[in-house]
Amino acid sequence: MPKPRIHHLRTRIALIFTVLLLVVQLLGYASVHSLIASAARRNTDEQLQVADRVFGQIVQAHRDRLTQAAAVVAADFGFREAVATHDQGTVVSALRNHGDRIQADLVMLVGLDGRLVADTRAQEADDRLFAYPDLIAQARRRGNASSIAQLDGRLYELVVVPVRAPVTIAWITMGFLIDGRFVDLVASTTSLDVSFLGRSSKSDWRVLASSLPSGAATALPQAVGDGLAMPSHNAGLELAGQGYGMRVVSLHAGDEPVVAVLQRSLADAMAPFVQVQSTLLLLTLAGLVVSVLASLLIARSVTRPIDMLTRFARGIGEGRYPPPVVLARQDELGALAHTFNHMREALLEREGRITGLAYQDALTGLPNRARFHDHLQRAIGDALGRHATLAVMVMDLDRFKYVNDTLGHPIGDQLLVEVGERLRAALAREECTVARLGGDEFAVLLPGGDADSALRTARQLLQVLERPMIVADQLVDISASIGIVTCPLQGDDAATLMRRADIAMYAAKRASAGCLLYDAGHDTHTPERLSLMGELRRAVEQDHLTLHYQPKVDLASGDVRAVEALVRWEHATRGFIAPDRFIPFAEQTGYIKAITRWVAGHAIAQCADWQARGMPLAVSINVSARDLLVPELADTFAALLREHRLDPAWVWIEITESAVMDDPAHALTTLERLHGLGLRLSIDDFGTGYSSLAYLKRMPVDEIKIDRSFVMGMAEDRDDETIVRSTIDLGHNMGLKVVAEGVENQQVLERLRELGCDLVQGYLLSRPLSPQQLEAWLPQWRKRSAPLLMQ
Amino acid sequence: MTSLSFATASPWPLPARSRGCAALLLSVLAACGAHAAGVVVQVADQRGAPLADAVLYAVPVAGKAPAAAPGARAVIDQIDREFVPKVSVVQSGTSISFPNKDDVEHDIYSFSPAKRFEIKLYSGVPSRPVLFDKPGLVVLGCNIHDSMVAYVLVVDTPYFARTDKNGRATLQALPAAGYRVGAWHYAMRDPNAQPVQTVQAADGATPPALKFSLTTEAN
Repeated sequence: MPKPRIHHLRTRIALIFTVLLLVVQLLGYASVHSLIASAARRNTDEQLQVADRVFGQIVQAHRDRLTQAAAVVAADFGFREAVATHDQGTVVSALRNHGDRIQADLVMLVGLDGRLVADTRAQEADDRLFAYPDLIAQARRRGNASSIAQLDGRLYELVVVPVRAPVTIAWITMGFLIDGRFVDLVASTTSLDVSFLGRSSKSDWRVLASSLPSGAATALPQAVGDGLAMPSHNAGLELAGQGYGMRVVSLHAGDEPVVAVLQRSLADAMAPFVQVQSTLLLLTLAGLVVSVLASLLIARSVTRPIDMLTRFARGIGEGRYPPPVVLARQDELGALAHTFNHMREALLEREGRITGLAYQDALTGLPNRARFHDHLQRAIGDALGRHATLAVMVMDLDRFKYVNDTLGHPIGDQLLVEVGERLRAALAREECTVARLGGDEFAVLLPGGDADSALRTARQLLQVLERPMIVADQLVDISASIGIVTCPLQGDDAATLMRRADIAMYAAKRASAGCLLYDAGHDTHTPERLSLMGELRRAVEQDHLTLHYQPKVDLASGDVRAVEALVRWEHATRGFIAPDRFIPFAEQTGYIKAITRWVAGHAIAQCADWQARGMPLAVSINVSARDLLVPELADTFAALLREHRLDPAWVWIEITESAVMDDPAHALTTLERLHGLGLRLSIDDFGTGYSSLAYLKRMPVDEIKIDRSFVMGMAEDRDDETIVRSTIDLGHNMGLKVVAEGVENQQVLERLRELGCDLVQGYLLSRPLSPQQLEAWLPQWRKRSAPLLMQ
Repeated sequence: MTSLSFATASPWPLPARSRGCAALLLSVLAACGAHAAGVVVQVADQRGAPLADAVLYAVPVAGKAPAAAPGARAVIDQIDREFVPKVSVVQSGTSISFPNKDDVEHDIYSFSPAKRFEIKLYSGVPSRPVLFDKPGLVVLGCNIHDSMVAYVLVVDTPYFARTDKNGRATLQALPAAGYRVGAWHYAMRDPNAQPVQTVQAADGATPPALKFSLTTEAN
């Protein structure tokens, strides 16, 4: 039962733990990330503000230094002298010379009237107005002035100081180019990128100097855009794919404004945090791995015992009893394991009890059918393995139902207990199993037994049972029938052996033989029997059976007024099949009911036909023990009589004595109903069963038929003659007609007449005849034989 | 073009141009007689405050003023690192000596076109006085002490005066004639914009006082 792994408890526990931890870690990571980002931004802002001040200070310091330097130069006597007294060429060269001393990039001399006197950039001053009158005015007020200004597209720090002689005679303006060096100085001092941007009279902003790479510097004005007009204000900036914090510092307002853009790379600002962050990320990942492993371990510590317990419980469920679970834990799982072990003990104990009940017959304490079956199977395996034999006996008590019915079930049960004890005692020394299969059926397994030893044992058992039994102060006579099979001769599986033993037992019971070894002839279920069964069924359905009628002769008048209907089966290929070859077989299978119905139907039809044709003959119909157990038998006969409008007095029912004695109570009920219809009853084979005269007395019988074995033997055997005479006397004393069957010679006939027998039947008189033969035979008999008989 | 636009470089005795001068041109009183007369002048700044150390000089409208006597002398001391007096006015041809009365040396110079000179580091009285032979403003400084400054206005007339602390001065002993009176003060915003007033000096009669208002530098 492979399930998706996610259904495993272990996986789910691990998953939940991991997801929770992941969420916590991610939240932590995200909050740290946002803290870091905002810290970096704040940091950048602060840096920019500080940088703004620092930048201002640098610019101021630079300015001061330059101013000082310019002032020193302006105070130089020689310079002043040159400026004051010499021609322009000299003045310009003096400007250059003294400018060079302090590395000024340009020097201009401005007259008090605000016009250029000399300019190092040009040979001729052209009397131009100095472009920065404000600076002069400022210098006049404060003694010096300075500003950042654009000249010729370059950026200069302009410093104006007076030339005094000793009163101010002119203004000297020195310009210091703001170039890469200065920018780099500022950039390295502030740790920022610095760019100077300027614009001349409404033209676009241009980068005049920058610490940025040239590509980025070119893109800067566009990127900053309107921000250039908003000095002293922090803003964000996207430049060349990088984020910056930015601050614009105004350096010079007016028509040609100059600003400085201070930039702080956010990536640089983040750099220290990124280190922290990547460490944190590493820690997060490591934590995750550890937590997954830990949760797997925890889950395993939970699920492994659960797996163990599951296997254990499955083992118990499958009936194996695995050894107790050992789980040395004090927690709930430990308690569960303890409970499981306890359950295992309890189950074992209870199963033992249940097994005992399941395999033991509660009444006799003998093994029951199930256990016997187990033993038998083991013994078969054993015997087959060792090439040995074994024997099985099935025993059924005779007339046990009768005992139960007459003496009551409690006594029946005591009888069974007594039988069980006797069997056990008799076989105590044998290596065998005695079992009660149910009801009054017992079985014995004889390992190593063969047919001879089994027969010996069976007879011994029968003797043991024949000893009088006293149950509840009642003397009970009991006998049994035993069927015997041996393995492997008559089967090598338990089912076959038991079935065949059963069959042999029934055969023994029918034959009143005590015990019988199984013979294939007993078996209705052999293939030959099965096909016979099918053919018999067809024969009934297609009227292939015929009825023959044997006359019953009245010894007093010699007349024939009754016949016995006997069934005949003329098989298409097998020829004539004797009734004793298919009637017992039909009785065993229950098909006899169909046959009985067929016979009754035809016999009654024939009888009615004879009546109609002026041949009044009573017809006897044989009914089997099985038929008697069916309450509807009487209804069947009633319907047939109605159908053929026949007086019931013309129909006789013949039943064997043993058929009644198998189950006297049921039989009696059926017989009374038949008699109630007006039918006559006759007891067949009288003297062979164990008829109780009490029953005979209660039965609505009109006639008894002495069994042919006594009649045939009476000529030679005095005992048989005694039985015949006693039976005739008994019948007459009870007001019954007596019929003798099997009359085959004149001597017997004469003796029967002397004894007062009422009717005779036998080959001496006539064998069974077909209706046509009978119709032909009857006039002849009346004309010739009857007078002969009567002489 | 060689003309340096020095304020002091204007041609003297009178300014050729008086551009932007806010000074009032007062009515010129008739001067009578040939006898010397004194003209009182009151000088104030643009706010009306009396202006000390303003220089006033009168140039005859017609004819020439008498030349300076040969050997005319003047003295400008250096005391406590200051020129004393700070403002002098002399007639051209006057020799000025610069006695150093400090215990440190001075090195006085002038780059003014009217008189360029330098007296190298010295103490005591230099051996020779310096002759101021051209009219014009001469600004003196000390090469050692930048704060030292002195103004010497050299004029071509013997008639000049300096205002006292009340801004008053008197041009003494003017022969009766018509004069153009110029006024100058070292703190004037435009040194070349000297206002000029005309006055008639008459013997025995005192002409009405002249009033000058000069625009000075803020401080």
